[in-house]
Amino acid sequence: MKKIEEDLIDMKNISELMLDLAYSSVLFQNREIAEEVMELEDKINKLYENISDNIFKSCEKGGDIERGKVALRMADSIERFADAALDIADVVLRDIELHPVVKKSMKESDEIMVKKIIKKGSYLDGKTLEKTKMETKIGMKVIAVRRKDSWAYGPSKTLKLKANDVIFARGPEKSIEDIKAWTGENRT
Amino acid sequence: MVGGDKLKKIPKDEDLEHEVLRYEEKNVRELLTEMKDYSELIADLAYAAVVYGSQDLAKEVRHIESEMDKMMYLIRLKTMLGARNIEDAKQLSGLLQIASSAEKISDAAEDMVKLLRFEKEAKSLLPHIFDKADEKIKILRVADSSSMVNKKIGELGVESATGVRIIALRRRGYWIYGPNGDNHIRGGDLLVVSGNEEGYKILDDMALAKREWKELIR
Repeated sequence: MKKIEEDLIDMKNISELMLDLAYSSVLFQNREIAEEVMELEDKINKLYENISDNIFKSCEKGGDIERGKVALRMADSIERFADAALDIADVVLRDIELHPVVKKSMKESDEIMVKKIIKKGSYLDGKTLEKTKMETKIGMKVIAVRRKDSWAYGPSKTLKLKANDVIFARGPEKSIEDIKAWTGENRT
Repeated sequence: MVGGDKLKKIPKDEDLEHEVLRYEEKNVRELLTEMKDYSELIADLAYAAVVYGSQDLAKEVRHIESEMDKMMYLIRLKTMLGARNIEDAKQLSGLLQIASSAEKISDAAEDMVKLLRFEKEAKSLLPHIFDKADEKIKILRVADSSSMVNKKIGELGVESATGVRIIALRRRGYWIYGPNGDNHIRGGDLLVVSGNEEGYKILDDMALAKREWKELIR
């Protein structure tokens, strides 16, 4: 059961990242982010396979069938969250030109997405995500970082931010000014 | 302009009519914003319902799911009325795809809360299943002496100050789901929250009056 639980946690984490990335791929009309959503969907499918295999194996060995059902249905719901995220990203992947209303409604949402370039010498320049404590201090969660042509999606805490990195973050509207200050956008 | 036309006389069902009256004033943009917000809230609520074995939260998940169905129906009608040519239709098909994905999330959430119907033994793994997930679902109680009491959630800036989102609030037997910035925090409130461990600890300390809220203001 332990392995099944670990896989379910991974599925939950990945599906949440996928939804954040999917909405931001729409807002910023960003194909690369949308493609990452597609790759994460592969991971979700693999995890789902692992979970169902492990559940069936455990039932075969006399494990509790009802408990197995609960785990499988949980995996199933999360897999559908991920599927829906992919459907959202699919709009970007298929190059469907979006109605301007879509962007507007994304911007009016409770949770907003921002894309910011880190300026040289700004507060974030040279700090690891862990050190910035961005999430607990200003409620902003970094969901992706672009450095030249390479990307880090759902970046780890030890990732050190550098000047010219482009960060994609999610958080409350109230924190827009904070993120501008932290990336150095407010300086003239 | 999409969604400018008002839709009347659509539903025959009285229940539905009540809701449509609320939504019919909304245009496509507002409906889509609401569907996006709900798609994020409903997943958290569903996780909270199964982790805490709460029938109340499950009921709210079912309620939001039925609201999503209604919004989906309206957004379909309104976009159809808004399309004047093939270009409009193409652009609006992408919009509809996003709306229907948000609706799919609510369907999956509704299915998730059906897990509560299982026998106690079968669902014994649920209470602690996501203890180690990035975003944790937790419950905390606000002490009467907390510096948060009688302040608005928006005024406190709970999310911007701690990174933790309040997904539901329970007060004297009734619930407020997905509270907005204008809702007040009262002593004795039970908050269902989603966020990382560190932010939760800060908020919990504030709620238990171990720390003052003003310490957080930068």
